[in-house]
Amino acid sequence: MPRIYIDGLPYEADSRQTVMEVAAANGIVLPGFCWHPKLSVAGNCRLCAVQVEGRSWVEISCNMPVAQDLKVLTDSDIVREYRKSILALTTLNHPVDCGICDKAGECLLQDYHYEHNGAPSTSHEVKVHATKFHALSSRITLDNERCVLCSRCVRFTHEISKTKSLGIVQRGDTSLVRASGDGAFETDAYSDNVVDLCPVGALLSRSFLYKSRVWYLKATPSVCPGCARGCAVNLWHRKPEWKLQALDARHNRAIERITPRDNPAVNGPWICNRGRDLAPLFERERATQAICAGFSVATPAAIEGARSLIERARRPVALVSSWASNEELAAFAAALGRHFTVFVKRDREPEPGEVVADDILICADKNPNSTGALANFASAWGPGSTLPEGTDLLLVWGEGFDLAQVPQSLRTIVLDAWKNPGHARADVFIPVSIQTERRGTYTNFEGTVSGFEACFEKDDSVAHAEDLFAALAAANVAAA
Amino acid sequence: MKHLIPEFEKLRERFPEGFDSSLVLPCLRRIQEERGFVADSDIEGLVAYLGVPRIQIEEVLSFYGQFRRAPVGRCHVEACRNLSCSLLGAERLIDHLSKKLGIRPGETTPDGEFSLATVECMASCGTAPMVAVNGSYHEAMTAEKLDALLDSKRRGD
Ligand code: SF4
Ligand code: SF4
Ligand code: FES
Ligand code: FES
Repeated sequence: MPRIYIDGLPYEADSRQTVMEVAAANGIVLPGFCWHPKLSVAGNCRLCAVQVEGRSWVEISCNMPVAQDLKVLTDSDIVREYRKSILALTTLNHPVDCGICDKAGECLLQDYHYEHNGAPSTSHEVKVHATKFHALSSRITLDNERCVLCSRCVRFTHEISKTKSLGIVQRGDTSLVRASGDGAFETDAYSDNVVDLCPVGALLSRSFLYKSRVWYLKATPSVCPGCARGCAVNLWHRKPEWKLQALDARHNRAIERITPRDNPAVNGPWICNRGRDLAPLFERERATQAICAGFSVATPAAIEGARSLIERARRPVALVSSWASNEELAAFAAALGRHFTVFVKRDREPEPGEVVADDILICADKNPNSTGALANFASAWGPGSTLPEGTDLLLVWGEGFDLAQVPQSLRTIVLDAWKNPGHARADVFIPVSIQTERRGTYTNFEGTVSGFEACFEKDDSVAHAEDLFAALAAANVAAA
Repeated sequence: MKHLIPEFEKLRERFPEGFDSSLVLPCLRRIQEERGFVADSDIEGLVAYLGVPRIQIEEVLSFYGQFRRAPVGRCHVEACRNLSCSLLGAERLIDHLSKKLGIRPGETTPDGEFSLATVECMASCGTAPMVAVNGSYHEAMTAEKLDALLDSKRRGD
């Protein structure tokens, strides 16, 4: 274990580490565009340079192996001067159109410029112009003027998503990032990660383009419910203090974008494109009206109706949701578990054209909490499953089950969050809250438990399933 | 391209195993020698044969100036515009060539006789400015020498 010195302070290092890695591991931020902890070292931006004590010039730290008693200076006069010049060079042909750039507020070039340079441009030359909107794919646009040619995006497709679909063509000051002519980037199921990876505003998500300045948004930590991997994500939505008054109020409750939240135990810093596309799934038309025997009723009346159905049932069966949180499932088990024969149902199956599974992140089970549900209730409801003989009440929680499959004579209770014409068939329908309106945890297919927070308040007309179950359990049911 | 595969196989023997991407450059050169340029079908053929990602071939093709993606005329005139040649008047020579042939760099005359290209340093800096015609060097060029050269080419010398 060599010991190295950074600005005079000693740090323990692993002999395979670089100076950049030791610094990062100890919370020392060295500037750099091309280095990324999960990608190979390119060493082409030259911004991470440090001075080795006793030497009169700088060397890049991202490619500098540690050695016993290596002494590096990250803030010497030479280093400071050098960084200034590198940033002046980087911005030589950069359009500095931060005012209209989606990355403004999260751009490394902006931050580094103010931290390490700050001086106005000394160049009197006209800037070289390049393509402003080059569609790298139907999802991603590339602003070539803003690209600093760090090659992070290129390395991502070669090393992480493995489509090898991006490259740098031409050379010198005509170099451009381009997608290969075979369309592999279009079908790269992880392509959108390059938008987060890009240190500047060169790669932009076409769905988020010009939607909002990032400083009006808040990131709520959450878990992607798109598949059994349960990637850690951030759900970005408007900060309450920046509530829009004049525009459609739905903007204030919209999920503007979904980005990865680094979780080494589950997904690292990546998520799949499908995870980024979940907002429309959440934002489908909500069910807000409780129904009892075909009539719209207030939610308490529907709860009362459901409770009496449960009370009277001799052989009730429940299909519980694999989109439910561990807390909701535990609440169900505690309040109603002994009274019902319970099956765990899959709420969602792969959609046509969706990547079913791969060996990167995507899992074939498109439900976030099948593992958590099966930990509470052992039986799974599958394609060939049938209701036990004599079932006289069926409670369906969540999506993925069509009531038309069961005889009209069977009493039914449905709990769901989104509008569906099938709900009208139920004897009792109670609208429930969705993931973005509550907090909870999911257990992913490997058994890792991850928590999510609420982004928005729920509507008064819908119930939290967690509270609902205690109310549904009549005294004699709970005691049974 | 298919008929070149036996040659490529021989070439492959010269590289350690697992270094198929090192074959991209020599294979492309051989293809261009044969066809005069590299066609889309050649790229696809090479992707299939070497198993390298297509973008790697596109990167190589666009990086090295000597590769052509379209046929060129009978006389391929390449004018260096790198530093030494520029200092000794390459830009003026290129303008002169352009006017005389009636085409811009990157174009071919309608009769298919001449193509004009600008290239980076061809290692003839000591005798700059230099122009290559079908690969042979013509050094220390002047407008007059160029005129004579093009006229002789036009006569089919
Ligand atoms: S597009 Fe962004 S990530 Fe890709 S090379 Fe340019 S600056 Fe780097
Ligand atoms: S891999 Fe699964 S959990 Fe992760 S982002 Fe994609 S759909 Fe969501
Ligand atoms: S971060 Fe080291 S050279 Fe770019
Ligand atoms: S600069 Fe023209 S040959 Fe070198």
